[in-house]
Amino acid sequence: MNLIETKGRSLTFNIFRYDPQEAGDKPKMVKYQIEETPGMTVFIALNMLREHQDTSLQFDFVCRAGICGSCAMVINGLPTLACRTLTKNYPKGEITLMPLPGFELIGDLSVNTGKFMRELAERLKLWLHPMSEDADVHRLETPMSPQEAAKLYELDRCVECGVCVSACATKQMRESFVGAVGMMKLARFELDSRDSRTTEDFYHVIGNQDGVFGCMTLLGCQDNCPKDLPHMQQIAYLRRKMAMAQF
Amino acid sequence: MTINDSAIAESTTNTITTTSTKIKARGRRWIAWLDISQSLSGVILALFLWTHLVLVSSILLGGDAMSWVAGLMELSFLSSDGHGYPWIVSLIAMGIGTLAFIHALVAMQKLPLSLKQQLALRKQMSAIKHGDTQLWVTGVIIFVLLPVHLWLIGSAPETIGPSGSASRIWNDGVWLLYLPLLLSVELHAAIGIYRVAIKWGAARDLNTRARMKKIKNIISVVFVLIGLASLLAFLPYA
Repeated sequence: MNLIETKGRSLTFNIFRYDPQEAGDKPKMVKYQIEETPGMTVFIALNMLREHQDTSLQFDFVCRAGICGSCAMVINGLPTLACRTLTKNYPKGEITLMPLPGFELIGDLSVNTGKFMRELAERLKLWLHPMSEDADVHRLETPMSPQEAAKLYELDRCVECGVCVSACATKQMRESFVGAVGMMKLARFELDSRDSRTTEDFYHVIGNQDGVFGCMTLLGCQDNCPKDLPHMQQIAYLRRKMAMAQF
Repeated sequence: MTINDSAIAESTTNTITTTSTKIKARGRRWIAWLDISQSLSGVILALFLWTHLVLVSSILLGGDAMSWVAGLMELSFLSSDGHGYPWIVSLIAMGIGTLAFIHALVAMQKLPLSLKQQLALRKQMSAIKHGDTQLWVTGVIIFVLLPVHLWLIGSAPETIGPSGSASRIWNDGVWLLYLPLLLSVELHAAIGIYRVAIKWGAARDLNTRARMKKIKNIISVVFVLIGLASLLAFLPYA
C-alpha cells in the first residue's frame, strides 16, 4: 500500500443538530469535515467527530456491531444502523444524518426508542403467557421441536432499533399503529406452542386499524430492516390468520 | 409444594387470567371485513378495467370491429331489431360506480384525511427515500375523474361506437379527461393488484416480490400504450 492510497478522501457530514433541553435552541443542519479511514463506518466517523471536533454532538450507541439496535438514524434518506453503514458506500463523500422520525427526540441524532418499545410491549403484552398447567414449577416442560425453535429464533432476532417504525408512512400518519416491530413480536408468541393466548386474544390487540388491518403494505419496514427480518411474510401471515378468524 | 412454590404458581395463574382476553369482541369484527372488501372490490375493479380496455381497443381493428363489440355489450343478438338494449351499459356503469364508491369509502379508512396526517405523510415522503411509499396520487385523481366518465357513458350509452365515441373524445374535448384517467387508473390497478398479492402473502420471498413488481410495471405500460393507441385510433372517425 503506498502513501496515496492510505491518504483518505475528505468526507462531508451534514448533521441535524437540535437540543430540546437548551432554551432558545433551533433545529439546524451543521457541516463537518473528516478524513476517511479504511473500513470506516458512519458510527466510527461520528465518534471521531465527537472526540476531535464537537463534544456536544449527541448520538446513541452501545455495541458497534449491529446487535444492540441503538445507533439507528436516517443516513442519506435511508433509516438504518450507523455501525453497519460503511462510508465508502457513498462515492460523493457527502453524508446527511437525521434522527429517526416518529420518536421522541432526546437531542441531535439521539431518539427515545426505548420508551416507545416499552409502551408497545406493555400494550401488546409482549411476553410469554404460559399455559395454566405450566404454573406448576415441578412439571417437566414439553420439549419444543427444532423447527419451531428455529422459527421463533428467526423472529427473535429483532434488535428494536426502530427503523421499521420510522420507515412506515402508516405509523407516521396513525400515532397508535403498532408497526412492524409490534406485529413481529406478537407473531413470535402466536407461533410459540407454550403460549396460552388464542387467535381470539391476538385479534383483540391487532385485529383492528391499529394492527394488521391498518397496514397499507407500503413495505418500508421490509425494505429498511437492518436485520432483514421477514416483515412482508409475517404481516401477511397475521393478516390471513386474523381474517380467517371471521369464518 | 413449598410456600415459595405455591406463591409462584399463584402469581403465574394470576398473570394468565388477567392478561387473556376471552370475551369475544364481535363489534370490532367489521374492521376485518373492511380490509377484505377493499382487496376484493379492488381486484374486481382491476379485472373489469383490463377487460374494458381490451374491448375498447377493438377500435384498433377498425370501426366495424368496435361496432360489433359495442353491439355485443348491448346484447343486440337478443333484440329483434338488432339495436340491443343500451341501458345495459348504463346498468354496468352504475354497478361499477357503486363498486368504486365502496372501494373508495373503505380505502378512506386508511387515507390521510386530516391535515395533520397529510403533513405527516408529506414529511415522511421527503425525509425517507422509499419507492413503495410514493404511490399515492393515482387514487385521488381517479376519485375525481371516474364519476365524470361514468356519467358521460352511463347517460348516453347509445352513442358508444366508432363515430359516437370519436366525436365525444375529440370534438367534445373529453380526451382531456381520458388522458389523465387512463394514466392514473392503469397505474392504480397494477399497483393495487401487486399490493393485494403481497398483502395476503402471495410473495413467499423477496425475489418473487421483485418479479411481481416487474410484471406490474409491464402491465401498466402495456395497457397505457393500448389505451393511447385506442384514443388516437378514434381520430379518423371524429
